[in-house]
Amino acid sequence: MMTTLLLAAGDDPLAHVLDRDSAITVGGTTLPLSVISLVVGSIVCIGVLLAAASRISTGPSSEGNARYVTKGRIAQVVEVLVLALRDQMLVPVMGERLAKRWLPLLLSLFFFILTLNLFGLVPFADLQELLHVVAGDHAAAEADVAHATSSAVYFGGTATACFSVTLGLSVISFFAIWIQSLRDLGVKGTLEHLCGGPDLVHGPLALWLVIPIIFAVELAGMFIKPAALAIRLLANMVAGHTLMAVLFGFGAAVLKAGGPAWAAGSITLVAGFFAILITFLELFVAFLQAFIFMFLTAVFISLMAHEDHGHEEHGHDQGHDSQAHAEPAPAH
Amino acid sequence: MLAADAANPMNVQVLPLATAVGVALLTVIALSVLVWPKIAKGLDERNEKILGEIKAAEDARANAKAAQEEFERKLIQAQHDADAMIKEARAQAQKAADDLRARSETELADLKKRANAEMDAARRQAVAELEAQAAELAVSVATKILGRAIDAKDQKALVEQSIKEFASTGR
Repeated sequence: MMTTLLLAAGDDPLAHVLDRDSAITVGGTTLPLSVISLVVGSIVCIGVLLAAASRISTGPSSEGNARYVTKGRIAQVVEVLVLALRDQMLVPVMGERLAKRWLPLLLSLFFFILTLNLFGLVPFADLQELLHVVAGDHAAAEADVAHATSSAVYFGGTATACFSVTLGLSVISFFAIWIQSLRDLGVKGTLEHLCGGPDLVHGPLALWLVIPIIFAVELAGMFIKPAALAIRLLANMVAGHTLMAVLFGFGAAVLKAGGPAWAAGSITLVAGFFAILITFLELFVAFLQAFIFMFLTAVFISLMAHEDHGHEEHGHDQGHDSQAHAEPAPAH
Repeated sequence: MLAADAANPMNVQVLPLATAVGVALLTVIALSVLVWPKIAKGLDERNEKILGEIKAAEDARANAKAAQEEFERKLIQAQHDADAMIKEARAQAQKAADDLRARSETELADLKKRANAEMDAARRQAVAELEAQAAELAVSVATKILGRAIDAKDQKALVEQSIKEFASTGR
């Protein structure tokens, strides 16, 4: 059995990382693990945050001052994260008005991606494969490991290690950026922004020659920025998990090369030690990538409000609400 | 089919993509409605509570400081009052002592003057008595010596002579 597992691990490291079919079929369509993870992740994320919210919110007055105290470690972690993201990251970057407007979306994206990333650290799929191999036909499992494992998993894997998923998340960021732009700058302001800003559009005629180039670059940038978000998240999640799979594949490589079992076991033990260290790194990366996705989305959104300040400075106010002018300039 | 397509990490599949968008949007909506307002309310209320407590503590501190300053001011005032009272008492005592001393000196001078006068009177009376006795003695002696009575004129001459002699003896 051990040999089977090692061979299964060593066959193709990417096969254990990338999205694959689950054992669940709906209407004749086999659902990928990423879809199951998305749904389960969403439910868990909402459930955990709902429980945390009830513990963070102020209790009944009969509790006295204790009603203001957050109870529970998860709720305290959520509170610390929310406060740090809101007060230390988003408000300084976006300003009060934008932060208040986009905080629900950005925090939701952060915690949703974080949940999916953390799910990827728990080997749900591997445990199911193990159970399947232990309970199932040992010979058949050895003969067709890939087939046996792919049909035995109901839930697991890292949804954010699937490009379709990260692309879907970045689509939301894409629309958030456009909505912010159209809402704050209007259609004309957005077009001016894409053409290099009002200084260039209302500038000398000679400069109009570069406007098509700038328009093409800026328009491409509106798509490239969210795409970069998707690729960055995917690459980081895939890289870490691939490294783990490769580490565990060393033992299988020894077996395949005809090495003794004790050597494979020893190498697997050493690789397991390093895998534990990598797991801590992956835990950090799970938080970091969720934060980066959210933070860059916030930066891109705040860039679309930047024209406000430009108009104010150069006397081209287009009648946006006065509160926008009171904000600090976003960091770039 | 999906498993085959998944061989390329960059393959885009419609089902996960659509699910990601849909589920993420539903999550955002659910969290925005159910979670974030609750958490924001709790954090804001706590923030207000902390700010209120800080303000109350600052007010209490300011009140305590004002009370302390008032106490110190009154203490200093009391010390000044006490110093003034002590100074006044000392002045009054000094004045009383001066008055007493002056009165004593006056009385002493009067007493001394009166004693001197009495002494002078006694001395004069003693001298007068002595003169009278000396006169009588002189007359008596002269009568015995002369064997006769002397008249007033002789008597007077004798008295004056006796007095002169008496005075010349330094008595």
